[in-house]
Amino acid sequence: MTRITFDHVSKNYDGVHPLREVSFTIEPSEFFVLVGPSGSGKSTLLRMVAGLESVSSGNIKFDGEIMNDVPPRLRDVGMVFQNYALYPHLTVAQNLAFPLSIRKEPKAQISARVGEIAELLNITDLLDRKPRQLSGGQRQRVAVGRAIIRKPRVFLFDEPLSNLDAQLRVHMRTELRQLQRALGITTIYVTHDQVEAMTMADRMAILNAGTLHQIATPQEVYRTPATVFVARFCGSPSMNILANGTIGVRPEDFVYVHSNGADAFNEQNAHSDDLYAYTVSGTVENIEYIGHEWLSFVRMTDALVCVRSLRAPTQHIGDTATLGVLETGLHRFDSAGFRL
Amino acid sequence: MNAEFIIAYRRRLSDRSKEFFETMQNFLFFSLRSFGAMIWMKRYWSDITTQMYAAGTSSIVIVLVSSISIGCLLTMEVGNQLESFGAKTLTGRATALSVIREMAPMVTGLMLAARVGASFASELGAMKISEQIDALRAFGTDPIAKLVMPRLVATLIMFLPLTAVSCAVGLIGGSFVAQGYHNIDPGFYWNSVLAPLEFHDFLVGFVKPPVFAVAITLVSCFNGFSASGGTVGVGQSTVKGIVVSSGLVLLLNFYISKLVLENL
Repeated sequence: MTRITFDHVSKNYDGVHPLREVSFTIEPSEFFVLVGPSGSGKSTLLRMVAGLESVSSGNIKFDGEIMNDVPPRLRDVGMVFQNYALYPHLTVAQNLAFPLSIRKEPKAQISARVGEIAELLNITDLLDRKPRQLSGGQRQRVAVGRAIIRKPRVFLFDEPLSNLDAQLRVHMRTELRQLQRALGITTIYVTHDQVEAMTMADRMAILNAGTLHQIATPQEVYRTPATVFVARFCGSPSMNILANGTIGVRPEDFVYVHSNGADAFNEQNAHSDDLYAYTVSGTVENIEYIGHEWLSFVRMTDALVCVRSLRAPTQHIGDTATLGVLETGLHRFDSAGFRL
Repeated sequence: MNAEFIIAYRRRLSDRSKEFFETMQNFLFFSLRSFGAMIWMKRYWSDITTQMYAAGTSSIVIVLVSSISIGCLLTMEVGNQLESFGAKTLTGRATALSVIREMAPMVTGLMLAARVGASFASELGAMKISEQIDALRAFGTDPIAKLVMPRLVATLIMFLPLTAVSCAVGLIGGSFVAQGYHNIDPGFYWNSVLAPLEFHDFLVGFVKPPVFAVAITLVSCFNGFSASGGTVGVGQSTVKGIVVSSGLVLLLNFYISKLVLENL
């Protein structure tokens, strides 16, 4: 159980700054997710923890010990890569045993540990197969097994589910989370998928263009986004940003306002028109039914607003509609994009 | 407009020069680390033997085919030219010197640059792209010690016997052409092949394979390690590896011959 501290960590090369002055702490046994779009610096940060990238300035500490110049082999981290990075000429058992065999550990010990891990990940019957004979999910399990076989201090996951289909991804994220809980090892998980981040993280950090925007629990990130970027990035559909980026409203917080001021469908009490903290009008452009909810898109003069509802809206495509939001559903940002 | 073009051209030239020197610096460090990793030879002996088979034993056929055709062609052409001077009996001698000093090492070098160099560059490039090299580092292994050093040692060991085989096969091929095409008695041919050979003829020929082995292996592996940008990047690094190592084989062949022949 290791505490990882990032103390003003930056990365520069050739005039490019993939990371700027990042500071935060990951608590022991925490499942911490780094999330952001491509080029946000999340993988660079992860690779710096593994020792695969150098630190340009600042310090990375494991339990207070500065790791900047410690070679990867002495950091005791287990890493799962996006492409799994399994060795195609080795069998599953040999892949699992690899981190131990290169350390020349006794064969009996390696064999016992491979058996334990295979049982834990339910891949015992695959041990004699080569990686090409495995499905995506099975390869994923082998990659995880190879990372944990050494009982590392820290787990690092670099977008490990991005090559799986949607259904398997949902299944694997539950499995990974259960495994991490059982082992209690501090984990850093990188993803560009905000749903994955929200569902798996104890806490998450949102990065964009090398800058840290917010560190919080998924609930806090969703309910009180620190910046317009976080507000837009987290949540699906994303938050509606209006009034030149100074007002934000989640799709589920908008309601259609009838002429009598009543909420059109949200099973809430009818509100008087003057109770809405913010109202906008526009034309209903599209209505989508996605099984458990409805999404309607209303065209304003300067934006397309998304409204999420559990019931079908009474409005039709082409109707003029007024949308309202209560004060509790309103997010205010300054002109620089920071939460007020 | 003209000034802008000149400024842009100078900037581009400066960037290219900087990139070139950076690449050379990285290659130098890469080479030094590869040689330095030889202290771990015992630890990676099984990797070395695997590479000896891949780089050496598996290359015999292509070396045999290319060497025999070079030996035959050389004997045919040299014999034709010498016949016009009435010196056809010297065909064996000319063939032997050409094959042992120049053609066998060069042809073997070129064949190995194409076959072994391409294999090294593409294999390591694919490993780089699929993050297998990063995985090695993350698990605590030096990828240069595990991947490059065994290849370097294997080629250093195997290129010499391959060149010897190439020489032998080239001369044997020449003997068939000498007998069948130029009607030279085999005994006469072999006598003219062996009699004039001196130590420095072998030295010129056999000092080259280790140098070629180093050049081909390090250039190909370096290009493999530098691969980026998906499968296209692997292709580009492989092509670059072959082109540069083949060019180096031709260049080094000339300079080693010049150096040894002038000084010994």
